[in-house]
Amino acid sequence: MHATIQKPLDEIIDFFKKGEKVFVVGCSNCAAKCHSGGEEETKYMAERLEKRGIAVTGWAAPPNGGSLCKLSIAEKMLNEDYKESAKKADSFLILSCGQGIHTVIDATGGEPVHPGCDTIFGGETVREDFITEYCSLCGECIVEMTGGLCPLTLCPKGLMNGPCGGSKDGKCEVDSEQDCGWQLIYERLKSLGKVDLLYQYQAPKNYGRWSKPRSLVVGPKKSTFKSLAGLITIDQD
Amino acid sequence: MSKLAQKLKSGEFAVTGEIGPPKGVNIEGPLHEAKTLLKDRVVAVNVTDNQSAVMRIGSMAVCHLLKQNGIEPIFQMVTRDRNQIALQSDLLSAWVLGIENVLCLTGDHNNLGDHQESKGVYDLDSVQLVKAVTGLNEGHDLAGNELDGAPSFFHGAVVTPEYDPVELQIIKMKKKMDAGAKFFQTQAVYDVSTFEKFMNKIENFDVPVMAGIVVLKSAAMAKYMNANVAGVFVPEEMVQEMADTKKEDRKKKAVEIAARIIRDLKPMCQGVHLMPLGWDDTVPEIIKEAGLE
Repeated sequence: MHATIQKPLDEIIDFFKKGEKVFVVGCSNCAAKCHSGGEEETKYMAERLEKRGIAVTGWAAPPNGGSLCKLSIAEKMLNEDYKESAKKADSFLILSCGQGIHTVIDATGGEPVHPGCDTIFGGETVREDFITEYCSLCGECIVEMTGGLCPLTLCPKGLMNGPCGGSKDGKCEVDSEQDCGWQLIYERLKSLGKVDLLYQYQAPKNYGRWSKPRSLVVGPKKSTFKSLAGLITIDQD
Repeated sequence: MSKLAQKLKSGEFAVTGEIGPPKGVNIEGPLHEAKTLLKDRVVAVNVTDNQSAVMRIGSMAVCHLLKQNGIEPIFQMVTRDRNQIALQSDLLSAWVLGIENVLCLTGDHNNLGDHQESKGVYDLDSVQLVKAVTGLNEGHDLAGNELDGAPSFFHGAVVTPEYDPVELQIIKMKKKMDAGAKFFQTQAVYDVSTFEKFMNKIENFDVPVMAGIVVLKSAAMAKYMNANVAGVFVPEEMVQEMADTKKEDRKKKAVEIAARIIRDLKPMCQGVHLMPLGWDDTVPEIIKEAGLE
């Protein structure tokens, strides 16, 4: 799940030049689940913009829970299903994550876009109304050593070899309401009978695998991950 | 070899002090205090590195000034603000400026300081930094490249004896030792019995430990630390002792308490690290009253 939250309406309004005509695009997958850009929110955004005097040529979100970040879906929607109203627009306001924003650039052959949301993190949908971050998408998973809990994500300093001295009563120094990630890892390893894992030195991460931008070529049996750490090809046979 | 290294290796009880660089370029005050209050009383002086995540003069420059004034510095280095390249480069720079002691720390989070919107680096953690210094001493950098001339740092790290659960601190201390840490300074110790238990737990660790002594200025400070500062626990009797002291007598009481803790801790550890937090003028008296002259 790509967690997103809408930008304040006033900030969005400020994006538009006088007389600029806009088409509002949502996403029926993650952004719908975040109530930041599903069909309902996209329609409502179009209405709110019109009330504030912005010319809206139309709005659309992919059908059947589709993801805006899939190029074929965005293309069908903007170049076929909503072609007429999309063509009339000077720009597109995107209510989705940043991937969806670029998908619209690709789908429209480079039309101007405006971000309607802030993309926050990739997270677990713990409840319908609560999403939280357990993975930082670093490209090199190390949770075998930590009982499945990621210290790079659960510790604000991303420490790999144990806690700093700053936690108090199991809470983090940056926020007394927040659990210390290393305390969570320690408790989890204790419950698994694997505290000994903590004695192993963890070398610095290969930040080449966390470089930007990265890409992935996927296949049913073989995939290749490209980053500044080089090409990593995995044969799943 | 640094004087600190010599002293700890000889088994002599070592005393270190600390100064915090100012925010701004007026360095004369702290330098004067170091010259008049710390010089020749302590074996070396820690210089904090943007302590509390508040931007100040850098530790390396102040270490260099101490050195020029005949005071041996301990260059504190946190991993919050610099990546591997900058950390290692600054270590080599420090060495050519005559700085021999390094203390490796993670550093308080940016969010606690005065540049809360800055990016925390944390390319390395404190254990990895210890290992990086060890590597430089061995003549290679973290990428495995050979150095044209290697330093010979006496590098240490920190541990918090009153941390709960202490096992987590002990595991990390062991990792720092294995990574090459040659000495440890601790977070503030007030409860001697807790410190004794901690030292018993690490009795197999063959490394000098210098207990941290933060000068207790008032009952309010004690209460604040108990409520807010990780790994610091001021026993209730001590809070009361301070509360029962008249304001004008507090400095005297602070000296008395610090000296008493030091005398009690002395048989258990290899040295003390004095952190007067602004009451630098108490340091000579604490050393005297603790019988460390």
